Amino acid sequence: MKNIRNLFSIYFLSVFIFSCTDVIDINVKEGVSQLSVDALVNNKPEIQTIKLTLTQGYFDNSAIKPALGATVFVFDQDSVAYEFKDLKKDGVYTYDAKNKPLNKIGKQYALYVKYGEDEFVSISKLNRVPKIDSINYQVEKLPIKPENGPQEGFQPQFYAKDFEGEGDCYWVKSAKNNKYFSKATEIQVAYDAGFSPGSKTDGLLFILPIRTSVGRELYSDKDTLKVDLYSITQEQFYYLQFVQQVSQDGSLFSTPLANIPTNIINRNSNSAKKAVGFFGISAVSSMEAIIDKNKAKPKK
Amino acid sequence: MKKLLLLLVSLFSTWNAYSQDKFTVSGYIKDAANGEGLIGVSVYVQEAKTGTQTNPYGFYSLTLPKGTYNLVLTYVGFEKITKKVELLSQDVKLDVELKDDSKLLQEVVITTKKADDNVKSLEMSVNKVDIKTMQKMPALLGEVDIIKSIQFLPGVTSVGEGASGFNVRGGGIDQNLVLLDEAPVYNSSHLFGFFSVFNPDAVKDVKLIKGGIPSQYGGRVSSILDVRMKEGNSKKPQFSGGIGSIFSRFTYERPFLKDKGSFIVALRRSYIDILAKPFLNSDLKGTSFYFYDFTAKANYRVNEKNTVFLSGYFGRDTFGADFGFNWGNATTSFRWNHVFNNKLFLNNTIFYSNYDYALQSDLKQKNDQDAFRWKSNIITYSIKPDFTYYPNTKNTITFGGQQTYYTFNPGQAVAISGGVERTIGLDDKFASESAIYVGNEQKLTSKISLLYGLRYSLYNYLGKGKAYDLSPVSNDGERRSIIKTSEYSWGKSIQQYGNFEPRFAANISLGQDNSIKLSYNRLAQYLHLLSNTTASSPLDVWTPSSNNIKPQLADQYALGYFHNFKDNLFETSVEVYYKDLYNQIDYVRNADLLLNPAVEADLLFGKGRAYGAEFYVKKAKGKFNGWVSYTLARTERKIEGLNQNNWFPSRIDKTHNLSVVAIYDLNKRWTFSSNFTFSTGTPASFPTNKFIWQGYALPHNYYDTRNAYRIPSSHRLDFAATRQTKYGFFKRGTGEWVFSVYNVYNRRNPFSVFVRQNETDPTKTEAVRYAVFGSIIPAVTYNFKF
Repeated sequence: MKNIRNLFSIYFLSVFIFSCTDVIDINVKEGVSQLSVDALVNNKPEIQTIKLTLTQGYFDNSAIKPALGATVFVFDQDSVAYEFKDLKKDGVYTYDAKNKPLNKIGKQYALYVKYGEDEFVSISKLNRVPKIDSINYQVEKLPIKPENGPQEGFQPQFYAKDFEGEGDCYWVKSAKNNKYFSKATEIQVAYDAGFSPGSKTDGLLFILPIRTSVGRELYSDKDTLKVDLYSITQEQFYYLQFVQQVSQDGSLFSTPLANIPTNIINRNSNSAKKAVGFFGISAVSSMEAIIDKNKAKPKK
Repeated sequence: MKKLLLLLVSLFSTWNAYSQDKFTVSGYIKDAANGEGLIGVSVYVQEAKTGTQTNPYGFYSLTLPKGTYNLVLTYVGFEKITKKVELLSQDVKLDVELKDDSKLLQEVVITTKKADDNVKSLEMSVNKVDIKTMQKMPALLGEVDIIKSIQFLPGVTSVGEGASGFNVRGGGIDQNLVLLDEAPVYNSSHLFGFFSVFNPDAVKDVKLIKGGIPSQYGGRVSSILDVRMKEGNSKKPQFSGGIGSIFSRFTYERPFLKDKGSFIVALRRSYIDILAKPFLNSDLKGTSFYFYDFTAKANYRVNEKNTVFLSGYFGRDTFGADFGFNWGNATTSFRWNHVFNNKLFLNNTIFYSNYDYALQSDLKQKNDQDAFRWKSNIITYSIKPDFTYYPNTKNTITFGGQQTYYTFNPGQAVAISGGVERTIGLDDKFASESAIYVGNEQKLTSKISLLYGLRYSLYNYLGKGKAYDLSPVSNDGERRSIIKTSEYSWGKSIQQYGNFEPRFAANISLGQDNSIKLSYNRLAQYLHLLSNTTASSPLDVWTPSSNNIKPQLADQYALGYFHNFKDNLFETSVEVYYKDLYNQIDYVRNADLLLNPAVEADLLFGKGRAYGAEFYVKKAKGKFNGWVSYTLARTERKIEGLNQNNWFPSRIDKTHNLSVVAIYDLNKRWTFSSNFTFSTGTPASFPTNKFIWQGYALPHNYYDTRNAYRIPSSHRLDFAATRQTKYGFFKRGTGEWVFSVYNVYNRRNPFSVFVRQNETDPTKTEAVRYAVFGSIIPAVTYNFKF
């Protein structure tokens, strides 16, 4: 129900005109630097990437330091190993999946990272993803000139249906003219076909706000829209929700800042060295459309 | 319970018959101008050097030895009256009307009913700001606001400008029992918290009880805000109103049925939407954006012994175009005042209270293909007999009970996607709460008076419903899992809690103008507002105690010294308090509190403590009047699963709080006023480190502490000027212009400080101050009466 609250905040902000924000300096005691694991991989036969870096002071805006010299493997449930190597010595560990993709739907995958003396592990599962049936668009005119995109144009939506069976989670990504909408506030996740487990949308067509969320702005003739549907674990659904939540501006209705739980575990549970970050594996289905003004549906 | 009450009634009735050499004088005291019963008028017997006060219905009773007496009736803002009473052979009934003397004095007197009442009365930790004072104080956008006004009193704070509700002595906003004519109001705010739901034109009396809470009140652990509505002018028809920047107000009151009854109706509505309408193009035409409230009350005096009252409140906020939501309170209370005999008074209240909200994605035009509709409510039905028995001048006994039935609809939603409909129903929840109480106000000696009592509350969480058994709380505050679900049939008790709630207060007089007061109270609260946001939103759901959620309890100890100077020109007090809070609620990380059937698994529990010192100086009389209040306070929580199970400051904690209210009555036409407030910033959690994940710079607190930092402090100055005009509309009645300036020196007070990724480069990070009011806000209001 987080999205409902977001909508709510938008209404709130739009009605209240006296509020303002400005950047200020605050003093915070820095914590100890930790290993940060950015490990999202997918089933596509292309180069897969895992980035290892080190955490730094929150207000330290110098370049992030890479974690070098680590050993990185992904294993699947059948004990097949996929080695990720830091070819450029910049903390970006890669595996070329062209010949042997990580594509065993329904199977678990494990991440293994050895950094210094510490060994970190994590487990994810490659879940099923439905195919996208279609993308269509209708004529739309906005009451005021928006910040991005035209005021008059086409509002697209994609059609796909959640699988029967509760608990499938998805990450819906989209790109306009090959540029992905990648702001944290633009993260769109779905639990079944809706926003949260409470919404009981199992087996439905993705519900309306999610269907149209891919557009983000209005489109003109000949613009392209690409929609990628990523299957994710429930753990990753909550992780992404969390990422979105901590990236939001504070307002009257912000929740207290809390640490995002990680699924990267130190094998030595007694070790003081904990890691941050997340490991997840996804199956992806995509569709791309070129907006054709002659095929647009008329405005409702 | 009813049997017990009947027994008590008959017992007290017979007692009365034995005393032959004593007689009783009793009656109602009213305002001569409009017939309103006056609450808390001092009735002092000169010869016996004793006295009493009128109850919330204006009733008083005094039993005295045979003789002739002079009763001195005093009430601030009214002429002092002395009445001779002959209690020689029989009881006397004496109704008195007091005349408003403000026309003569041309000055505002901040309410205390009697000049030295603050020293003499048993009440401590009780504050009142009368409506006349509130109307002179500068207000946001010129809208007189009860909830905002009481925040200038010691011990009362809010989490920030624009937040809904108020916090009393370190308690949450849901720990205040807000009563409107004895019916609870669950959400006291319009527009998220900018304005309170009470129409000042319809309010007669406001009383905030922070400690030493008498036994007739219960159900919340922090405070009681007792708001009484006007009864309506029983002398003549009267029309009053005002035109402000946000609201327009209209009130009509008049007598009916040969002056045996009177009524008042009051309506307020915001009108930004009406003003904006011509400027909206066709796409926004259907946008609704308004809030209103309607208050009505009627009373009818059946005969000398019986009076009935019917009052209602209905308020609603509506916002949205296609996607919209609305919320509001509705309360109805019926009251029957019965004078059994001149020593026993009964008020019986039956009320209904409903708070509900609804969200809808297809508000403007119904969509059968794709829609989302959601509603939630809490309904309360209650009956509450309260007896007051005046056996003699030394004792006033109150006793009674309350029986309440609650139904909760935590969320009922329909999601329609591609024509397929799904109902997302959270089960309704049911609960009952019963209470009986007895209390006595006793003048032990001429120096010592006591108020003591006991309340017993019994709560039942009832079926039909589900009870969840949850896994133990982990150390890092993770969501708990459901181990077992049990189903209960309709009306079956799922969980029961009972609590004895002792109450005690004492006043030890140290002389004519100073006294020491002390109090202790235990309070139990069975309903909880689940809210994990900085300010509470109208979507927050009230939830009943269950097998997992234990009732909140509070023990409060308070000690105060009261001293008046210069013939009661200056009133001063110092109070210290200490509070222990039990079964306080907090939330797991990323808690999902809305439409979550297993919401209990997202809750964490612990204890709290709050303590502080309150200093108060008031100049109650003269052309220049007002007060200064300073509070030094702390409120902390210790929650299992948060902050490594250590104590941490609560999000509402503010160390220093200073308020200054100054009013200057220049002449008959002009009044000037000013407010100043200063408060320490609220605690906040900031990240110590960051890490980059998928291109986002994410915050991380290495030490995993909560509320270890504070946002900068807040201060603000407001001004107002009121000018009386010779006539109101059409050369009739009276009128006044109120000019106000809020936030005079344009301070950007932080509501919160948050961290974020830089907009252009998300790997860079910064801290941002968010101010709800970032500018000077001037306003003009015109009020009239005829």
